[in-house]
Amino acid sequence: MITPTHYMLLSSALFIIGVAGVMMRRNIIVIFMSIELILNAVNINLVAYSSQLQNAVGQVFALFVIAVAAAEAAVGLGIILAFYRNKETVNIDEMNLMKW
Amino acid sequence: MMFPILSSLVALPIAGAILLLFVRDDEHNEPLVRNIALVVSLLVFAQTLLLWSRFNAGSAEFQFVERHAWIPAFGISYLVGVDGISLLLLVLTGFLTPLALLSSWESVHKKTKAFCIFVLLLESAMMGVFVSLDLFLFYIFWDAMLIPMYFLIGIWGYDRRVYAAVKFMLYTMAGSVLMLLAILALAYLHNAATGAYSFDLLRLYDLRIPPPMQFWCFLAFALAFAIKVPLFPFHTWLPDAHVEAPTAGSVILAGVLLKMGTYGLVRFAFPLFPLAASYFAPYLALLAVIGIMYGALVAMVQPDMKKLVAYSSVSHLGFVVLGIAAMNTQGVQGAVYQMLNHGVSTGGLFLIVGMLSDRRHTRLISEYGGLKRVVPHLVAVFLIVTLSSIGLPGLNGFVGELLILLGAFRWSPRAAAFAASGVILSATYMLWMFQRVNYGPVNNDKNKTMRDLSAREWAILVPIVAMIALMGVLPNMFLRPIGPSVERMLNQVRQGAGVQIQAIKNSEFGSRNSD
Amino acid sequence: MPPGISTSDFYYILPELVLTGGALLVLIADVLLPRGSKALAWVTLLAIGATIASLVPFGSTHVEVAHGLLAVDQFALFFKIVFLGAAALTVLMSVRYLEIEGASPGEYYFLILCATLGMMIMAGGIDLLTIFIGLETMAVSFYILAGFIKPNQRSNEAAVKYFLLGAFSLGILLYGMSIMYGLSGTTNLRTMATAFVGQERDPRLVLAVILVVAGLGFKIAAVPFHMWAPDVYEGAPTPVTAFLSVGSKAASFAMLLRIFLEGLPSMSADWRLMFEVLAIVTMTIGNLAALTQTNIKRMLAYSSIAHAGYILIGVVAGTPRGVAAMLIYLLIYAFMQLGAFTIIIIMRRQDVVGDELKDFSGLHIRHPFAAFAMLLFMLSLGGIPPTAGFMGKFWLFGAAIDAGYVRLAVIGVLNSAISLYYYIRLVVFMYLKPQGAGSPVTTSPSLGIALAVAVIGTIFLGVYPRLLFDLAEMSARTLGVAAVTAAIR
Repeated sequence: MITPTHYMLLSSALFIIGVAGVMMRRNIIVIFMSIELILNAVNINLVAYSSQLQNAVGQVFALFVIAVAAAEAAVGLGIILAFYRNKETVNIDEMNLMKW
Repeated sequence: MMFPILSSLVALPIAGAILLLFVRDDEHNEPLVRNIALVVSLLVFAQTLLLWSRFNAGSAEFQFVERHAWIPAFGISYLVGVDGISLLLLVLTGFLTPLALLSSWESVHKKTKAFCIFVLLLESAMMGVFVSLDLFLFYIFWDAMLIPMYFLIGIWGYDRRVYAAVKFMLYTMAGSVLMLLAILALAYLHNAATGAYSFDLLRLYDLRIPPPMQFWCFLAFALAFAIKVPLFPFHTWLPDAHVEAPTAGSVILAGVLLKMGTYGLVRFAFPLFPLAASYFAPYLALLAVIGIMYGALVAMVQPDMKKLVAYSSVSHLGFVVLGIAAMNTQGVQGAVYQMLNHGVSTGGLFLIVGMLSDRRHTRLISEYGGLKRVVPHLVAVFLIVTLSSIGLPGLNGFVGELLILLGAFRWSPRAAAFAASGVILSATYMLWMFQRVNYGPVNNDKNKTMRDLSAREWAILVPIVAMIALMGVLPNMFLRPIGPSVERMLNQVRQGAGVQIQAIKNSEFGSRNSD
Repeated sequence: MPPGISTSDFYYILPELVLTGGALLVLIADVLLPRGSKALAWVTLLAIGATIASLVPFGSTHVEVAHGLLAVDQFALFFKIVFLGAAALTVLMSVRYLEIEGASPGEYYFLILCATLGMMIMAGGIDLLTIFIGLETMAVSFYILAGFIKPNQRSNEAAVKYFLLGAFSLGILLYGMSIMYGLSGTTNLRTMATAFVGQERDPRLVLAVILVVAGLGFKIAAVPFHMWAPDVYEGAPTPVTAFLSVGSKAASFAMLLRIFLEGLPSMSADWRLMFEVLAIVTMTIGNLAALTQTNIKRMLAYSSIAHAGYILIGVVAGTPRGVAAMLIYLLIYAFMQLGAFTIIIIMRRQDVVGDELKDFSGLHIRHPFAAFAMLLFMLSLGGIPPTAGFMGKFWLFGAAIDAGYVRLAVIGVLNSAISLYYYIRLVVFMYLKPQGAGSPVTTSPSLGIALAVAVIGTIFLGVYPRLLFDLAEMSARTLGVAAVTAAIR
């Protein structure tokens, strides 16, 4: 039997993987995918809570998150593409024009 | 409605500065700019004299009080007033500013307009500091003063001017920000006690502040003022600022700005926090005595005249703080009197050093020698100012130092003894400097062609000499308005501290101070 | 008509609707107007002006729209005025900059208006959902704006960094929000507040608070979540940096106040402690890092981080006075920060980038008024009277002492003394160093207007802050802070 706890565990696992990915990977695209993982963890959380609480708001929220994530992906990939055109790389270590 | 004379003291220099903004800035207009600034500052001086003449010397209360609501939500008002302690400092400010402007006529040639504007703004802020009776207003003037002084040092100073200007600014700010917090804490305490915020000094005087808070607030205020005075370990900005500042800057710095520290102690730190004041007074006195000796000893070995005078200021201001810390009538009266003396005589010394440096473009003592034969008039005035600075009886310095030493002796003979040795030291270094500069053969050829005082320089120095003589011969003329206000302030401290003072003194400091 | 939404709700979101219409109008005008026409900026200003005008009927409104999705109250109103004012100044300072950089103005102005729209929704949102939508509307617009100068590598890099860290922080924030939703069963902040009473020790709720604090920490660029700010500020087009540092910051603070004071008052012990630590670290690190910068935009970025630290003091105090102090500071900050950026834009000429410290050498000879204005802004940022910045700091530190956080106030004033060093260093360059190189420094009419507004605001609020203070106190009270603090004590 799958209880809400299982959903929570899954979502926190996804969240942690996502955060770890953002921290450790060097490829911008992979970092971006890790961020999407975090957003998916959020969605799982929202939907699971929603079904547990018998309350539709969570699902609406999840839909909005999906829509916004799509918009963000469109913009984000555009930005990454523009960066790639100029620099011919998607490695975050080569973003070094500005340093303190 | 009465004419708002105090507000006009603050506003008139600003108006003058604004007027100057509209004058085209070119070589051609330089005399016009200077004359406007001079006339404005003379008007302000005349106004301070008018204030003095209308001042009721018998009363200890604040006079000419003006009050307008400013930020009512926080109980902040525009509140100004004057009593015997601030009255003469206002006159001093009015007296020195035209002299400072005059002194710059030959040495300042770049950006004359900006120079005059900054001097006038500075004068306005100084007036504001002395007349404010609202702590918030006081703080605003206190900080606003930094900006023109910063530029005076930074633009028209000597070689290391930028360093000196930044150091001056940062030191003073570091001290004053904590004072801001203490001011806020006072308003908060007033709110806790009465249910309304207030920055009104007169109301805060009546506030009973619990001891731990008193100590912290006193320390915050005292730090700000000690840096400004400057008291011994906080003095390191002063020699730099003085040496690098142009003559006018030095005169105002030594003549008025330093007094703000001691004025702040008398006006704010002591009466607001009587218990803490009586607790910390011995420490202040200790620092003051160290300052007297240290300043004198360091002054003795300076090769640079300006630096020597700067260190002598540390020593002289030590006397003032000692007088305040003694907390008796003679001590505090002497301290207030000595503030005026120091303004006149050290201001005079800086003016004379400035004149020498205008002629020879050096301030090193070793470059001079035998000036007595070349420029007898200048040397004569130099002598009078020097003697006034070391406190020769009959001149102004004597009265102040005597009163302070009397007060200090009544309070702690040992401190008085050390301080008195400072007097001797000061005679030593001043006279030694005077001798090296003015006597002996004229060794340096460049000195042989120096010209004596010009008419403009006479106009600067005659008022100084006149003041020196007047304050030495007729001290009562100046002491009379000071007296009642000083008494009032001392009563406030004594009553405020009440019995607790005695208790603390007997238990902790009695043994130290009474032997 | 969907359930739960009535016609009157549309009346209450009139300003947002007007702004949306204005934004669309800008896009249309971009097509219709001849290429390179400066009229587009005026169309944008017109849209902003119309929005400000449409705010007038809501001067004393206090309602919840659409069953608690949005609040129309004076708190929101105050922020909306700040955002719209900042947007207008940003448009004014963009005209010549876009011309020099050769960027197309149509989308640029559209995105500025979109970002403003997002901010307005953030300030009004009392539901996690609305706040999230508003935040994203703003953030996505800024991602594009940061990289708007496409051929410029620095701009690219700034956009990528801002995008990655913005999206990351959004994820963290949303995760915290999802837990908050799960524990309370609602996304409305005011309902949530009552649901959380008695759950103070629930570890999941503490986790949610930590995540939301971290997510918001990114948005307001609080240390240790500030790494993106200096790079983005330096790399993004200067007007965007200006708008980012003022508008986005103010909106994030509005959101922060809504979430914590309206939604999580029962957890105030936890988040106050966190924000206290954040405030201390943020101002100290921000100021210390700013000390060594030689690029003005970067220096202002660190200074902006430090200012976020000062403003956090108001959150920690949490009293109406503290909130009022934050509102006051954010408005004053808008004037001085936008003013400083206007000067940097004036320094940007065909041959000079103009954002290095040495570019400002001897500015007072080349352009005395610009130097004077910059002096004023620096003094104001450093908190020296009689400028507005002093009044703002005074109010903030006063609120801290009032609420019993003396330690915070002491650290705050010491920091503002430190900060003076780097602000004064710029003054040293402008006034005490010999003249720098490059073509003459000139202003355009629109830059002149922006500069004049900033100068007048900085002086006027420094001398006569009474109206602003009363207004801010009134706005802060509508946040329901008073009721909340009463409930907790």
